[in-house]
Amino acid sequence: MNLVSIGISHRTAEVDVRERMWLSADETRQAMTTLKERWFAECMLVSTCNRTEVYGLGREGPVSHDDLKSFLIAFKNAGSAVGPGHFYESSGDAAVAHLFRVASGTDSQVIGDIQILNQVKEAFQLAREMNALGPVMNRLMQATLHVGKRTRTETSICEGAVSVSYAAVELASKIFADLSKKAALLIGAGETGELTMRHLVGKEIGRIYVANRTKEKAEALTRELGGTVVDYEKLNEALNLVDIVITSVSSPSYVVQPEHVHEVMRRRSNNPLFLIDIGVPRNIHPASRKIENVFLYDMDALRSIVDRNLERRMAELPRVDSIVQEETEEFFRWAAGLQAGPTIQEFRDSLEGIRRQEVEKNINRFKPEDRDLVELVTRRIVNKILHGPTEVLKQGDAQTDRDTAARILALRELFRLSSNGSEPHES
Amino acid sequence: MPLVIAFTVILPILYAVLVLLYGLTFFGSSAAALRLQRPVLLFTLCLHAVSLAVRTAAFDHPPITNVYEIMTLLAAAIAVAYTYIEWRTGTRSTGFFILILALAFQTASSLFLRDVVKIPEYLHSLVLGFHVSAALLGYTAISLSAVYGFLYLMLYHEIKSTKFGLIYNRLPNLEMLEAMSHKAEIFGFISLTIAIIIGVVWLPRVFKEFSYLDPKLVGTLAIWVMYAAGLSAKRRLGWQGRKMMIISLVAFGFVFLSMTVVNLYLSGFHSFH
Repeated sequence: MNLVSIGISHRTAEVDVRERMWLSADETRQAMTTLKERWFAECMLVSTCNRTEVYGLGREGPVSHDDLKSFLIAFKNAGSAVGPGHFYESSGDAAVAHLFRVASGTDSQVIGDIQILNQVKEAFQLAREMNALGPVMNRLMQATLHVGKRTRTETSICEGAVSVSYAAVELASKIFADLSKKAALLIGAGETGELTMRHLVGKEIGRIYVANRTKEKAEALTRELGGTVVDYEKLNEALNLVDIVITSVSSPSYVVQPEHVHEVMRRRSNNPLFLIDIGVPRNIHPASRKIENVFLYDMDALRSIVDRNLERRMAELPRVDSIVQEETEEFFRWAAGLQAGPTIQEFRDSLEGIRRQEVEKNINRFKPEDRDLVELVTRRIVNKILHGPTEVLKQGDAQTDRDTAARILALRELFRLSSNGSEPHES
Repeated sequence: MPLVIAFTVILPILYAVLVLLYGLTFFGSSAAALRLQRPVLLFTLCLHAVSLAVRTAAFDHPPITNVYEIMTLLAAAIAVAYTYIEWRTGTRSTGFFILILALAFQTASSLFLRDVVKIPEYLHSLVLGFHVSAALLGYTAISLSAVYGFLYLMLYHEIKSTKFGLIYNRLPNLEMLEAMSHKAEIFGFISLTIAIIIGVVWLPRVFKEFSYLDPKLVGTLAIWVMYAAGLSAKRRLGWQGRKMMIISLVAFGFVFLSMTVVNLYLSGFHSFH
């Protein structure tokens, strides 16, 4: 197979190099137009903040990796910062396996990243809009999405929070059954605190309150996320309204003291209270942790959750690898069915089988002296039926000519020739 | 009685399969086991019900005449109560901890069960069957409530101490465990109330030696009062979380004492052999 691939990612290049190679959707369209004109029968280009990769099926034999690298660098006018050394390259099954690994999230900077599968899906969709997907890349797309789906259902590579903000939200859903009936208060405007609140909103938290020394900042955030602004001076009253408190204030002393928490717990008849202290130095007095039904987590505790989850994801790598290997083999079994020669042979065998079966069943109806003639005539009919399709299929190369490939697939499907031509996986 | 013997053999095996299925999902993450759980659970319940009916018909008395008959009833009651809770809360990750109790009771029952044909006349009574069943369901649900309370305290401890293990990964959230414990407690409380009402209204007519000072009656009433107090503390005083779970466990401790000490050493008219 003429499939080639080049790419640049966090594995080979620093962020300042990667961002030079990032392509917007418009740029992707332009680049693909040129790639198709110059080299590819089918191709796909994926570009995210962490990677830019090209996959293509050469129209006339394999395309040189170096040509592709030079083209991309020139296209982005990035020769001063980016060199061919920043790229990795692969061909054939290695290229397919690489794409599958990318889709599984194991090639991502944060292992088990969920975003990347959607980004790959969008890249394929864009390629389809550009009419750059033929039978092979179409099948490759289906197989890639299938790998993504399998890794998510069959392994736990995507499980467990791997950011401090998400770890906090995950903890919240281990304490509370239904976040939509709960309220959260964000104190301060630190980035991680805000991100935590955004995650909570994503989990459909019931009500949100924001308190900030600079009231405008709080107002800006509530305009975006909904919710109510609370006076920073009246913090202790606001504590009574909520089940989750996120603090992210830069303050030399504790913002929330244990006696505040005691008072709050008394008022909320000891219902569980979740305190997330993301401030450094800490905003909530650590003695609050000892109060019954109060769950206090600071930055260190959240980081330890993240580290533990990352370790667990790493342990899933071998299982993902075996899925990638299985699916790569499956893809190439399918691709083998695309060759014209074997397909014609199978088509011939199939028709010949039908002919022989019918002749044997009916031969006694003919006089003995006519039987050789029956054999001859039926053979001729089969050969004549075969002649046209054989000629057409032999003219093109299914690896580079998508019309030929489509005809082969149609022939396989219509005449039910072996399983290689079966429908791709549902995705 | 080949049918009765067949049930005696099959039931522990079915409960073992159930425990295995729930265990596989809890300690591993077997999708196949997850799919099989509910069908096997329902099948086991049906078969257990049939087995109890067959036993009742074969010996012409409800299976409440000796401790091993009571044990198979208890296993069935645990499975029924668990099914109810699974159905109400939609959470299956606690099945392993509960059904292992049912397995233990059913196994003990199957190993030691002897067929008793001759029994006192009053043990043939269906009303007595209802009384015993209600009491069993009550004690069972209360045991389940205690198991959930125990799981709650373990999860509470893990979250509080930021040391996370299998309990944290697999169990549902604290609020849900609390709700399960609470629901089981209410179910148990209602069943116990029914058992007490049947007992107090009907038993004096049958047993000449019936006494309102019977240790078991007094013990059960004490437990009933304890749960009534706990439940109203939750409702009236809004007691929550850890405190309620500890109360639930302590009350269960008394239930356990009543079931063992009272049954073995202090029984009045409640003992039949």
